[in-house]
Amino acid sequence: MTLEQKILQFIDQPAENGFEPLALEIYEFQRNNNAAYAKYCEYLETPQELESWKQIPGVPQQAFKRSELRSYPANLDTVEFRTSGTTGEGYGRHFFRSLRLYEAGVQRTWDHFRLPRHPFLLLMQHPDDAPFSSLSRMGGFLSDNIRESFFVAQSGQLEIERLRAVTEKFDVPITLFGTALAFLHLFESSQGMQLPSGSIAVETGGFKGSGREITKHDLYDRFAKYFDIETKSVWNEYGMTELSSQFYSYGVGRTHLAPPWVKFLVIDPNTNIEAALGEVGLLRIIDLTNLWSVAGIQTQDLAKAEPAGGFLLMGRDPAALPRGCSRAMDSLLRQS
Amino acid sequence: MNLSDRIIAVAEAARPFSWLGEVTENKIREWIELEFGGDPEGERRHGDHSYRCVPLTPILHVVSGNTPHAALQSLIRGILVGSENRIKIPASDLPELKDFSDRLPVELKPQLNNTLPATWMRDAEAVVVFGSDETIRHFSATIEPHQRFLPHGNKISFGLVLNAFDEGLIARAARDVFLFDQLGCLSPQSYFVAKDSETFAAGLADALERLALTEPRTQPRSTGTAATLRAYREEWKYRAATEAGVHIWESGTSLEWTVIHAPSLASTPLHRTIFVHPLPDNLEQQLKSVRPYLSTVGVDRVDSAVIELAILLGAQRICSIGEMQNPPLTWHHDGWPNLTSLVRYVDIERA
Repeated sequence: MTLEQKILQFIDQPAENGFEPLALEIYEFQRNNNAAYAKYCEYLETPQELESWKQIPGVPQQAFKRSELRSYPANLDTVEFRTSGTTGEGYGRHFFRSLRLYEAGVQRTWDHFRLPRHPFLLLMQHPDDAPFSSLSRMGGFLSDNIRESFFVAQSGQLEIERLRAVTEKFDVPITLFGTALAFLHLFESSQGMQLPSGSIAVETGGFKGSGREITKHDLYDRFAKYFDIETKSVWNEYGMTELSSQFYSYGVGRTHLAPPWVKFLVIDPNTNIEAALGEVGLLRIIDLTNLWSVAGIQTQDLAKAEPAGGFLLMGRDPAALPRGCSRAMDSLLRQS
Repeated sequence: MNLSDRIIAVAEAARPFSWLGEVTENKIREWIELEFGGDPEGERRHGDHSYRCVPLTPILHVVSGNTPHAALQSLIRGILVGSENRIKIPASDLPELKDFSDRLPVELKPQLNNTLPATWMRDAEAVVVFGSDETIRHFSATIEPHQRFLPHGNKISFGLVLNAFDEGLIARAARDVFLFDQLGCLSPQSYFVAKDSETFAAGLADALERLALTEPRTQPRSTGTAATLRAYREEWKYRAATEAGVHIWESGTSLEWTVIHAPSLASTPLHRTIFVHPLPDNLEQQLKSVRPYLSTVGVDRVDSAVIELAILLGAQRICSIGEMQNPPLTWHHDGWPNLTSLVRYVDIERA
């Protein structure tokens, strides 16, 4: 059985205590086949053989802007996803030999968290119009790529009136899934829409790089008012281009939970070791479906592990770093 | 209160604040003499006519919480020229400014306010603002044409090492990084080193480690700051692993300091994260966008060649490495004289 098949089997039937041996096998595979990752592991003096999945090094997200992180030959690329590059520092690139694991993860995670299989109305571009967008690809998998289910045109315009017209025709529950920015634009550009009873909304992406500042509480209030739904019917999907898997939470102030093929650590930024339960730190994710790149990703997001499982995402604005009267050079260097 | 009394009062108030430098009566008198060329309160000949210096008053100072030095320096200048001083302080307060003000005689105490009364803005003859580009632009758009605007925006400073160096120079370079957590406008963000830049970087790391051991931080970094510094450091460790010419030295698992050697320019998050770059051939071109914001260039040897180079780069101050954080009382803060910029020259032409 290939490693990909083993992971697919685990996704299909997650065996108790099956995560760690698979994670360690993926680590060894990636260390042997991903040149940049191997260099990083050697630099960190990480042993070739590990005893725990917690020892697997997580590459910083920025690594995807610096290197082509593949665990297979480049001529076998089938897909490339790109980060949005909203911070003006270029974009990260995530290459895949195959999307089998990605698709399996998307579908099984949705069902694992018992998210409803209602008809989808997607506030994003169709994957044909946004070939480098992992979110569009995910939306495509969930909606069988039906073009009429996507409500952001190739131009980037949100098709509000078509969305309204289509929504009004449904008398069964629907699932609205889109970026937080798209939803905010919807709320600010139009009158409310009535959704069929039992409908849910799923938002993702946050506001990084957009210049918009809005709390989750305020955003979910807007969902509630605009769609006349309860805030607990609004879900958040936490993911990133650098990962293949997703975490989900619903309502405000609740934990994000991982599917069985993903584990996480919260790293104390002051010491660079695992933080105590309940302490805030940087989220490190080990995603078994990230076979074709790197399973371990060190994010820049702050979180707190919850005793019952999952984590609470804490807001952080990197721009809030105190700088005294010393000016940052990044914007100036981009002009050079 | 006359000038002599004001000088005595300022020197007395400044006594506990050693980080302000040498603010003594003699030094202040010397400073005044240098800027005004004599008694600022009398009538002085000037070619075929004469003039008097009259303080601009009141002065509105807008200061930020993370620059107590700047706030005290600005107030001292305003007091010495004889102005009434009104200071808009940040919402988080500025305890050092309050402490200094408490030590002044009542006639010299500034008015302090966390908000900016409209009358303060309207009535000011001079507006001194410390802050970001955004803050400076806001006030620039708000002042009236007759008001003198003296902006002190955020700045960039760096060091140049053009000759062979020794441990002494490296220790002084580390000191400049270490002070004020590298958050001052005079703190070096990078060192450009002409020869053996990697050796310099390694030595700088050792020197910072010695400083960290003898002067450990008394307050842990906030979680937000620590998170940003840690993420930054981990990114550069990845780059050190995968890119030629990139090396990183770190203070163990703590976040006391980080030294990064990189072939090309990069932005530092500060908090004792210092870059060392090999001196490029086209330094002027590479620093072109930095030029409008350049403050201090610290150099290993202050000679005529490096002076010309630093001026070409846009420096407003050139000093020895080790003295970057220690400008004299008489320095031209951001390129203009500090006391005479707060007065108006009234010309008197007698027939």
